[in-house]
Amino acid sequence: MKAVNAVTTSWPGLRVDRPTFSAVAESELEAVHRYLLFLTGNRTVAEDLTGETFEKAFRTWRRFDPRRGTPRAWLCGIARTTALDHFRSEERRRRREERYARDLPDAEETALGSGELEAALGRLSAAEREVVALRVLLELDGPTVARVLGISTTACSTRLSRALKRLEEMMRDARD
Amino acid sequence: MPATDVDFEREFEELVSDLRALPTAAPTGVRERVRALGEPPRPRTLYDLLLTLSSRRSLLVLAPVCALALVSAAVIHGVVNSGGDTGRTAATGQKGAAELQRDALDSHATATTPFGAVTGAPLAPSFPTPAAGRYQDYEASLTVRVKNIDALHDRTAEATRLARTYGGYVASVDESTTSGNGRSDLVLRIPVNRVEDAYFRLARLGTVTEQHLSIRDLDQVVQTQRRRIVQLKVQIARIGETVKSSSLPADVRLRLELQRDAAKQELARVTGSNKATLREASLSRITLTLTSQKAAVATRSGMSRIERAARDAGSFLAGAGAVVLFLLIVLSPLIVLTLAWIFGSRAYRRREERRLLSAA
Repeated sequence: MKAVNAVTTSWPGLRVDRPTFSAVAESELEAVHRYLLFLTGNRTVAEDLTGETFEKAFRTWRRFDPRRGTPRAWLCGIARTTALDHFRSEERRRRREERYARDLPDAEETALGSGELEAALGRLSAAEREVVALRVLLELDGPTVARVLGISTTACSTRLSRALKRLEEMMRDARD
Repeated sequence: MPATDVDFEREFEELVSDLRALPTAAPTGVRERVRALGEPPRPRTLYDLLLTLSSRRSLLVLAPVCALALVSAAVIHGVVNSGGDTGRTAATGQKGAAELQRDALDSHATATTPFGAVTGAPLAPSFPTPAAGRYQDYEASLTVRVKNIDALHDRTAEATRLARTYGGYVASVDESTTSGNGRSDLVLRIPVNRVEDAYFRLARLGTVTEQHLSIRDLDQVVQTQRRRIVQLKVQIARIGETVKSSSLPADVRLRLELQRDAAKQELARVTGSNKATLREASLSRITLTLTSQKAAVATRSGMSRIERAARDAGSFLAGAGAVVLFLLIVLSPLIVLTLAWIFGSRAYRRREERRLLSAA
């Protein structure tokens, strides 16, 4: 069976070649998962949020316009909103639990991994981890990442530089 | 110094390659979950497609569309309003004479026609010929512009003389002057059979700027009055004959005499009305206004159709602009509040995001 990877809208004046959702999901799943993994620093949460991100993208697929950006950048925007919603609800949950069960220990969370680099990444802030994920792993360009994060290109470059420097220092300390 | 697109890979070469080598593959469960979503339905209706438009793009589309619609409405308004005014006036003026009279006679009703709907423009005097053998009430009004106050006095005197020449009289004269301008209002009664000539002579006193004619057919009224007079006379004669008989009882005689008196009173009234109607039909009424006031500088009929259309379209746009300005002024507090709310909520969201990310 021949896979359809792109469709064209039939409305005059609104003609645009768009990839199919399934083709985009297939090609961008890894990237989105990697980004969320870095952003949350938690494999289980990243998996849940990845699924949630693609469900949201499925519902709002008609709003995606390829002329305004790549599918990867669009999906990262959705993933970021989803992750922030998750952080917000987690914060509320923690506050509730702190109120009623102050003495209970925090549930053990699945980290990025057990290596030195994973440990160093875990010590970075989420904001630093996400800029590393978007620029280094997902290889999005500076302006696109800045747009996804809602900051200026300069701020984005500074944040990336600082995060990588901190990572390098932490790795050097760990090796020494 | 911030890293650019290229140099961070060079500067942190080893770190970047280590980061890219991290095991970050999505588990099969997630992949299956995403695959199960399938393909969303394609947008089919225009509404579906409109949903794809962002608010900024919608604004970019809507703003020119609204402007275009406004300009189109202004052009249509201008063209519709400018069209046919002159033609319509001319047509009415040409219809005047025979046709108007025929219409009036056929319907036995009042016919009124303005021969110059627009003031200020010189008009060619026209007058329908009175129908011979019919009773009609003619009423005409004429506005004539003269050069100056001296000419006004002369023309007023001439109009009075003309009325007498044609066997009529001046019912009223009202002459007034204020700050270099003057005005004379005359009501002339002219015999109907000579009204046409008189009218044209009066029109030549200056420049006709407005004329109006009203013809009311009185034939039916006169016929009705005459029939009633005959009926009453017959009734009175019959009662007289009956009363002459000596065999009538006293009360019947008294009742008949009362009826005869009532009939005589009504006969006198109807006869009076008939005389008044005949007098009305024999004398026409011409209301003549003589003025030394200059006409408006730019009259509508003096402009070409394109000029009028452009002017109407311009005033339409000016009106629309005034409405928009009014709405802007009225709604400006609301707009300021909305903008403040938008920017405020955006700033708050950014700060909240930073806090959440630093806490995560």
